[in-house]
Formats: sequence, C-alpha cells, structure tokens
Amino acid sequence: MQPDFSELNRFLLDCPPFDLLSDDKRQWVAAQVKAVYLNEHNVDELFKNYSPALYIVRSGAFDLLAPDGDLIERLESHDLFGFPSLLSGRDVVNKLSVVEDGIVYIISAEVFDHLRQHARPFERYFIHAHEQRLLSRPGQTSPNFAAKKAGAAPAGVEGLGDGASLQRLVGEVVARQAVWLSSTATIQQAAQRMRDEKISSLLVVDDGRLVGILTDRDLRNRVVAQGLDPSLHVNAVMTQAPATIAAKQSLLDALTLMTQHNIHHIPVVDENDQPVGMLTLSDLIRQQKSEPVMLISALNRAKTRDELVHEARQIPEYIHSFAQRVNHAAAVGRLLASLTDTMTRKLIDLYEQNHGVAPAAYVWLAFGSQGREDQTLSSDQDNGLLLANDLNEKQLQWFAGLGEFVCEGLAACGIPKCPGNIMASNPDCRRTRAGWLERFRSWTEAPTPKALMYCQIFFDSRNVRGNKRLYQAYREDVAKLGRSEIFLGNLARLQANVQVPLGLFNRFRGTESGKDSDLIDIKRYGLALINDIVRLYSLHAGLTEPRTLTRLALLSNSQLLSKSDNQALAEAWQFFTQLRLQHQLAVWGTERPKNALDPDQLSTLSRRQLKSAFRIIKDCQQGVSLKFGRIG
Amino acid sequence: MGWWQQLQHFWQRRQHLNRGWRDHRYIALDVETSGLDARRDQVLAIGWIEVTPPVMDFQHGQYFVTQSAPELKQSPVVHGLVRRDFASAEAPEAALRALAEVLEGAVLVCHHVQFDWQFLQRFARQYKVRLRPLAKFDTLTFEARRLRLQQHHIARGSLTLKACRSRFGLPDYQAHHAFSDAIACGELFLAQAYQYAGRTNAPLKELLK
Repeated sequence: MQPDFSELNRFLLDCPPFDLLSDDKRQWVAAQVKAVYLNEHNVDELFKNYSPALYIVRSGAFDLLAPDGDLIERLESHDLFGFPSLLSGRDVVNKLSVVEDGIVYIISAEVFDHLRQHARPFERYFIHAHEQRLLSRPGQTSPNFAAKKAGAAPAGVEGLGDGASLQRLVGEVVARQAVWLSSTATIQQAAQRMRDEKISSLLVVDDGRLVGILTDRDLRNRVVAQGLDPSLHVNAVMTQAPATIAAKQSLLDALTLMTQHNIHHIPVVDENDQPVGMLTLSDLIRQQKSEPVMLISALNRAKTRDELVHEARQIPEYIHSFAQRVNHAAAVGRLLASLTDTMTRKLIDLYEQNHGVAPAAYVWLAFGSQGREDQTLSSDQDNGLLLANDLNEKQLQWFAGLGEFVCEGLAACGIPKCPGNIMASNPDCRRTRAGWLERFRSWTEAPTPKALMYCQIFFDSRNVRGNKRLYQAYREDVAKLGRSEIFLGNLARLQANVQVPLGLFNRFRGTESGKDSDLIDIKRYGLALINDIVRLYSLHAGLTEPRTLTRLALLSNSQLLSKSDNQALAEAWQFFTQLRLQHQLAVWGTERPKNALDPDQLSTLSRRQLKSAFRIIKDCQQGVSLKFGRIG
Repeated sequence: MGWWQQLQHFWQRRQHLNRGWRDHRYIALDVETSGLDARRDQVLAIGWIEVTPPVMDFQHGQYFVTQSAPELKQSPVVHGLVRRDFASAEAPEAALRALAEVLEGAVLVCHHVQFDWQFLQRFARQYKVRLRPLAKFDTLTFEARRLRLQQHHIARGSLTLKACRSRFGLPDYQAHHAFSDAIACGELFLAQAYQYAGRTNAPLKELLK
C-alpha cells in the first residue's frame, strides 16, 4: 500500500511553485523526496553528496553564503535554494552554514527535470526566478486576493470584459490607416478630405513627421467663425505639436491623456514617432461602454458642486470593484489620478462660472501621488497654484478664492486635506514662477532634513489645468535646480538613512510601534523609497516626467542606473503597488492600517517577493549613496 | 543453531556495534494497535522508513494495513484509519516478510520501542516470520536519559513524540498515521544522534548504552 504523504503534500501545497502542480504530480514528487537532518556536523556534505538538486527548507534556519563569505540569504521554512545550479548546470559555489538544525528536503535533478518538462507553470516559475531578482508569476494574485475574487464571482465575471478592455493597447483599436495631409495643403482640401473619408479629424504630416492635427472644431472655431479664407494653408489653423500616444500604450493611458488635456482626438505614433493613426474619444467609448468613462463623464456633467460631490461619493465603491478586475494595480492609481484631475477641473469651471474667468495665466499643479498618478483611496491632496507675474490685489484675491473653493470641494468629494497643508488654499502654495523657484532654491541650497522630505513631492508635479507654456517654463527651471549636486547629495544621504524593514539575516522587522509592532509600512518603507530613489536619478538626468514607471523607462539608457537595477526597481514598484492595493481592499471599511501589513499573513510566495523587493531597495540605496552621497 | 554459529553470530554483532553509527541502516517504525495489551490487542497497521544518516529516503518507506476486520476499542478513526483503509488491508505475511527483509542487519528505531517490539514479535510469531534487527534504539528512553543527565525534572507529558520533537525544534506534524509517525520518529532519532555524537562517527554501541 502506498504510504500516506499527506503531511508532506500539505507542506508542498504551501510552498510555491509546488502548488502549481497537479495533485497526482505532487503526490509523485512527495514519494521521491529525500529528507536530510542538517546540522553543523554534516552541513558540508550536503552539496558534496547531493548536488545538483533543489533543496527546500522544512525546519531550522541556514545561511546561504557567497564564496567570499558574504551572506546572500537566510533560509527558513519554505525557502528554496540550489536551483541556479540546476538550471545553469554549473557547480554549486555557495556555502551553507547552520543557524539552527533542521530538516531540508532534497528534490533530485531527475525529478526536477521531469517536473520542468511536464509542468509548464512550474518551469516558468524557475525561469523567472533565475532571470529576475524578484520572484514573480505572470498575473499572480495572492491566495486571499484570489479567494476574494472567487467570492465576488457573479459581479466580477460580468464586469470582466470592461476592466480588461481598458487594458487593451491603443494599437489594437486603431484599425484604419492614418489619414493625413501636409501642412501646405489648403484648408478647403482638408475639409474635402475629411468629408470623403467621413472623419472628424486629420493628421498633418511633413516629411513623415507629425506636425499637427486638424479637427472639425478647428474648422468651426478657427476658420468659419473667424471668416478665414479656406484657401489658406492648413498650418495656419491646425493645433501644433499635439499630445500623442504610443501604439503600445493602453486605452486607459489614452483615456487619461484625453481627460488630462480635455481633448477628443489623439494621434497615435509608433516606436519611431511615426504617425500611425488617430484615436478618438468615440473609439474609446465604443471599446468601453462602462464605468471609468461613464464615471468621468458623470463627473464632467455635474452642473453644481453638490452634484459633483454626489457623483464623487460613488468613486470608492466603484474603485473597489474596478480594482478587483484589473490586472495592473498601477491602472487603479492612474484612474484615481484622472478622476481627481477631472474633479479639480470641474471645480475650477464651477468657480469660474460664479467669479468670472481667470484674470491671468495660471497653472493648477498636482503634486505627490496625484502628480505621479499612483494615487490610492487614502491619498490626501497635494496641490498648488502657479501664477503669472505682477498680479494686483484683486487678481490675487480671485486665485485665493479659487484655491479655497477647489480644495474644500475636493475634500467634500472625499479626498482628504493635506496634513502638511500643501494645498492651493494655502497662500504659501500660490506663487509666481519666481516665487516657486525661490522656494525651491531655499530647499536645495540650505536644506533641513524636514524641508528635504517635504520638498521631494514638489518635484513630482503635473499640470492639471492652465497655461501649458507657463508650466513648461516653470518645470524646466525646477529641473535645473534639481540637478544641483549639493542638493542631490543631501537627498541621497536622507534616503540612505531610511532603513528597509529587513533585520539581521534578511528577517522582517516590524516598522510600527505599540500593538502594531509586527506590521510593516509598505508605503513608507517600500513604495516611497522607490519613488525617492527613482526621483533622484531623474532629477539628476533633468527629467520633467513625474510618473515613477515612466521615469524608469526614460532612464533606461542612463549611465548611472544599470539596466538590471532599473528593471528590478520597476518590478519592485509594481509589486508594492499591487500588494498595497490588495491590502487596502482587504482592510477597506475597517479601522486597520491602510499602508501597514503583517508579513506573516501573506502567502509564502508574497512573503518571498516582499523580501526580494526590500532587498532590491536596499541594494539600490547603497548605489544611491555611492553615486550621489559623497558630493556636498 | 549450534553453539559455534551462536558464537560466530555474537562476534559479528559485536563487530557491527563497534562500527560508526553513521555507517548503519536504521528502520524508523510505528505500529498502530487496537489497544495497549500485546497479549490481547491487534496490530492494525505498520509504517516504516529507512534512515541512512543523515538521509531519510521517502522512496524507501512502507505502509501496511494488516487487519481487515479490527476490533477497535477506540473510535473507528483511530490513528487516522478509517473503514475504507481496512477494506484495502493486505495479507499480514507480505507486510511481515517485507519488514523482516529490511530489518535484517538494521537498527529498529521507535518511540517507546518496547511497546512496538512486543506487538511486532507476537504478530510475527503468529505468521512464523523471524524479525532480526541488529539492535533496537528507543528515542523515548534516549530522551529521558538525556534530560536526566541535564538534571531536568521530567514533567508529565514531556516525553511524548511531539514534546521531544519540539525540544529539537522539529516541526509539529498534523497527521497521526503510522507512516508519518515513523517519519517523525526517524527525524527525532537523527536529531538526537547528531546532538550526541557531534562530528565524530561514534560507535553504534555508544548510542545504544
């Protein structure tokens, strides 16, 4: 009779990637296992007598050491080791030392190879683990998240198409060939072409390069209404240098871009910036009859502040269901940011209806998480106003009123006020370009640690509404200031002082005090640290982009940040974003901390990933202090 | 057996016992019985696993249900055995032969070896099978002696398999089943032996003292 391996089977089920095997295969593995009682007296024989093999720690604790004696990892129950040699065929060079005696299971190379050949997910797990520093599975969800999803099945399945459709790529949706004219064509030719093609907009292309777009609205507002001669060239009335979107970006990106710039047409370009087509709002709506678009347009339709607040109150519940359907947690942060943008713009419109249009050029700035587009439901407001120079008292009064009205309005819509008072309602956050620069200069030249901490969020800014040129000029000035080596050196030292919550031997260390002392704040010690590190590199490179992942993409050719670190940081950022979202969904509506979680509650896989993610931060922190910390 | 053969056997055994403990084969074993009295109660199941220090090979593990119609004094799911298991019982001779074969020249390891051995012997005699382990090692006695040497007061319940294992930091197993208990016992044995012998390959006889 077959011995009963239920104990071992249960253990393997909790030990990724063995949970991916079929029951039969797992039983089969269990019957092939060798168990070794490992202690200081026999540890040296393990690799000598039983390698190559995959080893699984069942109990005890062991340190994996590099040949030079440096600690690579402390291995505890459920940890795997030995697979790099199995995959590469190279001899084991690392050493093992015993911290606490225990049992290690050995899976022979034959069994391992058999599983790789006959169980694809099993193989993928190790290939990934080998190639990337962060162990990950495509589309992985933690068990508790998966269970949640299953529980909400009826609603979830129904809505699945909607959530997925926003993830589709722009290139898949733009089917027809780009319709274009050169900038020297006449306005009349353009109108005829649009009539023939039955389209509402045209690309204007010179020498294969996109120079502008022309829309129905332009023909109405700039030609007919102005009584312009239709035999003039198109370039007199087109919108120059329009915002574009890459074919590889998602529809959600497109949606965000449209709401950001309040436009209905976006030219689509390929990797080489060659125009390939036009994406219109109706294309999007056709793809996506559902909620994100509906929600945004509901916000836009609101006629009064009360109506807006009423609509905005639906957001948390909606986000809650949206978040369970999309694969990328980053999409949720972007959606929240674009909802906040929409609310902000609507509030500005409402203010203008009652107090007249803005008396001067200005920009409504979004800082921090809204600026970076990684907002969560618990993120608070960070915003400010950039004003034109030489405003009189009355004009300043108008903007003071605007700041007050919008910030109060956003708070009523459910976006908490900023405890640090970084809000446009604060006179200190309503400044001219020179005023802001002076403010930045004081931080960059004579920084106190607190000022440094605060000022970082100002570097993650976005123009929500207002004068583009004013913003661009401001942003470029700020970027110049940010390149100050002394400033960067100070930031680097500040960042290196924040310890990731890995204690001695890579064990988790709680970051909170009191009854929460086992918890780890993954925002402060995870996401925020990655944002800080990436910001530092992009300040140094003079980037004006606020989003962390886009910053990393732009830094891909950086001399300072290696490709592998770049990729590792992006993976870690995505992992933390996902983990935080799952956690926030789990604690939604309770009093439990929104950003702090108990690592013991995580699945084995998530726990391993969390450790790797923290280790990536730790490595990159060292890189940062080496590269920037010495200066100043 | 003539006196010459007996003498020869005695010498051989002595030589074996003088060999290092790590060079021996061990059979960690657990029997499940219908009660506590070897004269009246039956062996329901036997599980064992071979230990060649420091390895326990799950491929060399065996499990036999030996009774098809047990008289149970405890609940019917005693030791995790259910009626279905008894239905698949095999002929006791097969189990005993297999056991006799692996025990030849090996050390029998049990937690409270007296108990298991009494049952095994009676059971084997019933089917005219001879079990001839080289020696018997009792993880329970060994632990009691170890604690006494450390001048520990031995509290009630501190010598159960589970309690002994937890002192060595070995994991707590949920299943109670002759096979998983045999594994648990084998692991405890390795922990005890390594702690006792350390780096040296002490003679087996020292371990058995």
